[in-house]
Amino acid sequence: MRIVITGAGAICGVGASPAAIVDAALEGRSAIAEIASFDASGWPRRHAAEVTEYNAAKLVGDRKLLKLIRRSDVFGIYAADQAIGAAGIPAFRDALDGDAAVAFSEATGCYVGSGGGAFNVNYDYFPLMAETHGDMEGFGRELASTVNPMWLLRTLPNNVLCHVGIRHAIKGPNACITNHTTSGMLAVIEGAEAIRDGEAERVVTAGHDAPIEPQTILYYHRCGLVAERELRPFDAARDGSVLGEGAGALVLESEASAAARGARILGEYLGGGDAAEGEGLLALRDDGDGPARAIEAALADAKLAPADVGLIVAHGNGTRLSDASEAAALTRVFGTSMPPVTAFKWATGHPLAASGILDVTLGLEAARRRVAPGVTTLQHLDPACAGVAVAAQSRATRGDIVLVVCRGFGGTNAAVLMRALPG
Amino acid sequence: MTRRVAITGLGVVTPAGNDVPAMWSRLLEGRGCGAPITNFDARGFSTRIAAEVRNADTLPLPPDRKLLKFGNRSHRFALVAAEEAMRDAGIAPTPADRHRWGCVVGTGMMTVSFDELASVQREAAPAGELDAGKVLAEATANDPMAFCRSQSTAGVSLLMRRFGIAGYASSVHTACASGGQAIGTAMRVIRRGAADRVLAGGFDSMVSPVGLAGFCLLSAVSPDNDTPERASRPFDATRNGFLLGEGAGFVVLEEWQSAVRRGARIYAELAGDGNSLSSYRITDSHPSGDGPIQAMQRALRDAGALAADVDYLNAHGTSTPMNDRSEAAAAKVVFGERVGAVAVSSTKSVMGHLIAAAGAVEAVVCALAIRESTLPINANLRDIDPDCAHLNIVRDAPRQQRVRVALSNSLGFGGSNSCLAFRHPEETAAIVAKEGA
Repeated sequence: MRIVITGAGAICGVGASPAAIVDAALEGRSAIAEIASFDASGWPRRHAAEVTEYNAAKLVGDRKLLKLIRRSDVFGIYAADQAIGAAGIPAFRDALDGDAAVAFSEATGCYVGSGGGAFNVNYDYFPLMAETHGDMEGFGRELASTVNPMWLLRTLPNNVLCHVGIRHAIKGPNACITNHTTSGMLAVIEGAEAIRDGEAERVVTAGHDAPIEPQTILYYHRCGLVAERELRPFDAARDGSVLGEGAGALVLESEASAAARGARILGEYLGGGDAAEGEGLLALRDDGDGPARAIEAALADAKLAPADVGLIVAHGNGTRLSDASEAAALTRVFGTSMPPVTAFKWATGHPLAASGILDVTLGLEAARRRVAPGVTTLQHLDPACAGVAVAAQSRATRGDIVLVVCRGFGGTNAAVLMRALPG
Repeated sequence: MTRRVAITGLGVVTPAGNDVPAMWSRLLEGRGCGAPITNFDARGFSTRIAAEVRNADTLPLPPDRKLLKFGNRSHRFALVAAEEAMRDAGIAPTPADRHRWGCVVGTGMMTVSFDELASVQREAAPAGELDAGKVLAEATANDPMAFCRSQSTAGVSLLMRRFGIAGYASSVHTACASGGQAIGTAMRVIRRGAADRVLAGGFDSMVSPVGLAGFCLLSAVSPDNDTPERASRPFDATRNGFLLGEGAGFVVLEEWQSAVRRGARIYAELAGDGNSLSSYRITDSHPSGDGPIQAMQRALRDAGALAADVDYLNAHGTSTPMNDRSEAAAAKVVFGERVGAVAVSSTKSVMGHLIAAAGAVEAVVCALAIRESTLPINANLRDIDPDCAHLNIVRDAPRQQRVRVALSNSLGFGGSNSCLAFRHPEETAAIVAKEGA
């Protein structure tokens, strides 16, 4: 069964659509800069890729909703709206009569990858804690008069799933995946499987995260994962990752569903794979066994050979071990006939749970233009990454099939293959 | 031919007991687990009761101390419950097949512990407003282990490491539907051949100041502080909120034929997964049962079963006024005239609501009900809500009854609805034999 892609949406520090972000990458622009959202002067790490012109009410078009959601949710809802709108779904559904509209809603699924685990949501309790000075009884007594009664709802990791569902009358199969960095990509894979299974005719998939907050930056630094300034995938001088924020979204559907609307086809979902190394939360094998198996699983799922792939979007998060082991995985699978490799985190930063699906939207956009955008921060390829066909300059792709790789904590890895139609 | 999925191992840590036999006997006894909260000083809260895991300090944890530093209270529940499930299944990943083992979990809302939060507040927000500069010097904010324990993938990472699992891995969170959705996802992963065996379940502990606070603020928990053992009374006319619980439930799922070949004890076939989105309101369920109806119908369709095949429904039955009414309405639509023939109970009446773990523990309960041909009690039901009076509720005493198909509902905040369908292994064996003939 063919699964087509009819809508894409994205937002991050360098742009507010897949096209704008790929344009920025082609121009060599990066969102990585000194942190503006809090005073990080004097911090050992001071850089992030923030969405600086943040107007939440404008992004979601509903001021009242902002009481019920947080920053990460705003990105997710924005990207999903963009993808759903681009796919022409709202106008089509609004024109259906009663029963047909219900059937359409029930055959539409929603799969979201969510960051969750934000620290600052709990800071809403700080005024109460300051007032009660560690007196638990006082904390309980004063609770209702101090804390927003809707606090728990604003905090739910599955908010984007819920609100995208309500906004677009989606009533089909669904999931909210909270699996760190692979969350968004797993949402794409599970959403596609729901179509293959016949559970849904179309699915909205999204991933979102907003991890740029003091406690998170410090933790990533203490774990040795944050670069001092730049994110330099596969470069000999790379010194870590830089946190980003944002969201990506895709509409996937059966050919019949797309044809019924006369929807514009951006590409085709060909397959996905997932494989963990499972050696601990922060542990990574240096031989790239996990990402290699995820890529092999995606190729097998898509019934493709490595030679069919025309563009690779690497995870390329800029840390020493992740990039070197990813390079090992890519050379294990592709050997000496590797198609052009790119990576986007040098421009977008690393938006954690959103990163896999954001890269999927960017990989699709780049492959539609038949271009592998250059990795601008690359100066000298690390000998430990030898064989990875990455370059500072933009190049033509080798074909219309793009592979996107995603890696996360717990040694988790996922990979997705798509065919891009020329745009 | 479709790959079917067998349940071959069960494990739990719950307020009703810290292993499967202890929990099962307490469920048959039907005695509520609600009691004054001991995890922290809850005297000032409007609700001061919960169903806590007893003797959490003496749980049979794995001996690896370094590993345990990566986990919080709910992760310890997960490790112990998963250990029981793996032992029960009598099989473990080997270096040759560990890539064919997956792990899918329903996780709670991950964050730092309250003590760690309080430390950040004292140092970096003494007046209530965070001063980012002061975060730099605060101990918790510099402790990588506090970070690791707070991560959404902390649980799945611990479990994979502990058991040597190296295949498909995922964590899901759809509030109270998490455990059910995790097990449903795991079933699909096996069906499509992405794994042959999956350790699947859920774990949670929100019996903490911030966890309880969130539910108190929403008035979602029962305020019956003086009668905690009766606070959870699903379908009763006087019900007034859920009883917060904590714990973990795990199952070992295996591709049916391979389970049969190795002579595994098969509790039940995990036969169907129904999943729907209500898209109504965030906390409210539609009074008509819209949402849960589709989940139940999809689970039956996915299982290749008819409503007439169902003998037992383990209800979500939280004991909130709205949920139980909506769920009762859904049952009426799904089962139609036969609604009175389907036995129903909510085991939350005994052990409270385990939030992200609820669906997983209740999957274990369904597997046991099928294996034992015994239906656990819906405790604390005195005066049935007239809106629920059409339900055939197992009250007062457990019921001896063979179960062909059981359903388990898990309905979450945000409108995610999960319904799992379980089939008696003899029924499945008969279907498989017919398919083969």
